[in-house]
Amino acid sequence: MALKGFSRKFKPLELLTEEEVEAIHRGTLEVLWKTGIRFEHERGLKILEKGGCKVDYQSSRVRFPPALVEESLRKCPSVFGVKARDPKNDLMLGGNTVYFSPFPGMKTADLDTWEPRTATRKEFYDGVKVEDGLDTVSLIQQYTPYFAFESVPPVMAMVECMAGKIRNSAKFTAEGYANDCEIFTIQMAQAVGAEMFVPCLPASPLAYYHDAIEAALRGIEAGFPIKEATGPTPGATAPATTAGAIISANAELIAPIVLLQLVKPGTRIIVSDLIFPQNMRTGAPAFGAIGSSLHTAGFDQMWRRYGVPRSNTATITSSKQIDFQGGYEKAISTLLFTLSGASLVQFHGAMYGELTHHPVQAILDDDVAGMIGRFIEGIEVNDETLAIDLIEEVGPIPGHFLNKAHTRKWWKLEQFVPKAADRLTYPEWMKSGKKSCLDYARERMEEILATHKPTSLAPSQEEDIERILEEARKYYKDKGLITEEEMATYRESMKSPDYPYG
Amino acid sequence: MGVEVLENLKKAVIEYDGEAAASWARRAVQEKIDPVKALDTMTMAIREVGDGFGKGDLWLPDLVGAADAMSSAIPIIEEEINRVGARRESLGTVVIGTVYGDIHSIGKTMVATLLIANGFAVNDLGINVTAEGFVEGIKKHNANILAMSSLMTTTAPEQRKVIETLKEEGIRDKVKIMVGGGAITQGFADSIGADGYEPTAAGAVKLASSLIGK
Repeated sequence: MALKGFSRKFKPLELLTEEEVEAIHRGTLEVLWKTGIRFEHERGLKILEKGGCKVDYQSSRVRFPPALVEESLRKCPSVFGVKARDPKNDLMLGGNTVYFSPFPGMKTADLDTWEPRTATRKEFYDGVKVEDGLDTVSLIQQYTPYFAFESVPPVMAMVECMAGKIRNSAKFTAEGYANDCEIFTIQMAQAVGAEMFVPCLPASPLAYYHDAIEAALRGIEAGFPIKEATGPTPGATAPATTAGAIISANAELIAPIVLLQLVKPGTRIIVSDLIFPQNMRTGAPAFGAIGSSLHTAGFDQMWRRYGVPRSNTATITSSKQIDFQGGYEKAISTLLFTLSGASLVQFHGAMYGELTHHPVQAILDDDVAGMIGRFIEGIEVNDETLAIDLIEEVGPIPGHFLNKAHTRKWWKLEQFVPKAADRLTYPEWMKSGKKSCLDYARERMEEILATHKPTSLAPSQEEDIERILEEARKYYKDKGLITEEEMATYRESMKSPDYPYG
Repeated sequence: MGVEVLENLKKAVIEYDGEAAASWARRAVQEKIDPVKALDTMTMAIREVGDGFGKGDLWLPDLVGAADAMSSAIPIIEEEINRVGARRESLGTVVIGTVYGDIHSIGKTMVATLLIANGFAVNDLGINVTAEGFVEGIKKHNANILAMSSLMTTTAPEQRKVIETLKEEGIRDKVKIMVGGGAITQGFADSIGADGYEPTAAGAVKLASSLIGK
């Protein structure tokens, strides 16, 4: 049985009128046909040409006929299951179900100085363990919790991260691609009987480089689902207007859909956006800007029309600390995404941009996800919840409901009780030493690390993971992508008596 | 046989079942089980629920539900205690109410229920109780504890008025006075000459016990 997630019990937000939806769809078809997409992948170009696209090999430009685009979108399943290492963590994506997952950061942040620094191997492993222990985390995606950890050569980062996730969590996962690393991450997932999302990302505007297409083709060859993700910056790598940026982003996402559905009809695809307007002072993306939510609401509405599950990702903040700005920027975007039709929200743990992540933030976000999840599940109305007989039984004062079996049963189903929020009265709060949610979250992290036991790997699976890691090390060493010095540091770090867990 | 009845009585309290608690209490009386022992059994049950509450496994509706179930069995057991002339260790006699002008009952009811469950004889005067009403209640029940609640800042001064009235009536020293409710602070309690203040219902039981030295 698949993880339940949260079930949205009402119609999603519709910011666009039916006419506006059609105008955006028509515009997307026009861009795909007139402007086309640059596709730096020889085999991909040939497949697309054979499938009916107009291909200019000189400029690697592909133009997509509208009928082929619409046919390809129809081939995408609107609901599909994915397999986790432990079958109890399998997911069923699409429909009205919303799942939450962590959002990665390149580095960890020091909770006292808030300065970023590279995580240690133990911090990476502990970060996965904490997220495995959070109820609202249904899967752990690529680069999560951190892009890398200490002593690992850059080229091995994603392979090591995949191993770290598999060792510390039995939830569904994903990992990125670069320098063929997906060859090894796919093998790892297969070694533990799981599937994973293999991502495919454009370079905005309107271009795909070889690695992205190669990874997606390797992914579907393994029979895995593909996560297509785009992240243009309106005003820089997409039009500054929300409608124009949706067209540009959607054209980017549709191009590989055509390719993948030509190669393997019915391929499971989830589409993702990570879009922030540009900060026109610094040139950096404005993480946490409300423009991201506007974009995503329109994006979700379009992809609901196409019947393709949606992963919403722009839940990050510009704040460098776990603070009020971080709280409102993250919570507002996440709430709006779930209301506008997300199938999956990438959320927990993210701090500044994609640069920092912390499990304490993930624990606070577990409460936010729980709150939002409770809201979208809506109001249950039946004879028992209407409680007319009970109201009659209790009557006016001195009657009350606190001693009723109905209360004992229903309050737990009706209320969401946050685990790290300060919900004390003033006197209790004074007695507690004036603890804040941050204090409670730090305590909860220690508690999870001390008590949570992720489903362990069978000894043969553990051997397989280490063998695949060793094969990857050799592959990159032979290709000259790991220097002698990097390898020496790497090997030294593996001599720890706690390896691979410390 | 007796053991089984007491076990069922305890189970009824733990399972928040007032009807079952009353029924097993009647059975205990029929079978001539020591009524003091029956009362102790229920006190043990409520303590178990209280411990669960303290640990965070159980919640207010559980605590009040168990206390309420026990309350429905207490009159049956007390009657038997009086009939056989046994001595029941009542911890103290409480008069409790929400002050005049204030109609908030739930905090006060929670405290009353938990006091009953923990062995106090409680007389709940309800809400909107005047100073005269409290005086009358204390005299009538020969109470040694007065517990007053007010949720609103506008009705908090009424607590001072009640204490002044008790002084005028010459019965201030007959009772220990504990105050609570959203509008009350330790500072305010001290300023009106109350003997104790407690912001939580569970804590109010401990406060009542300590005020009368038990």
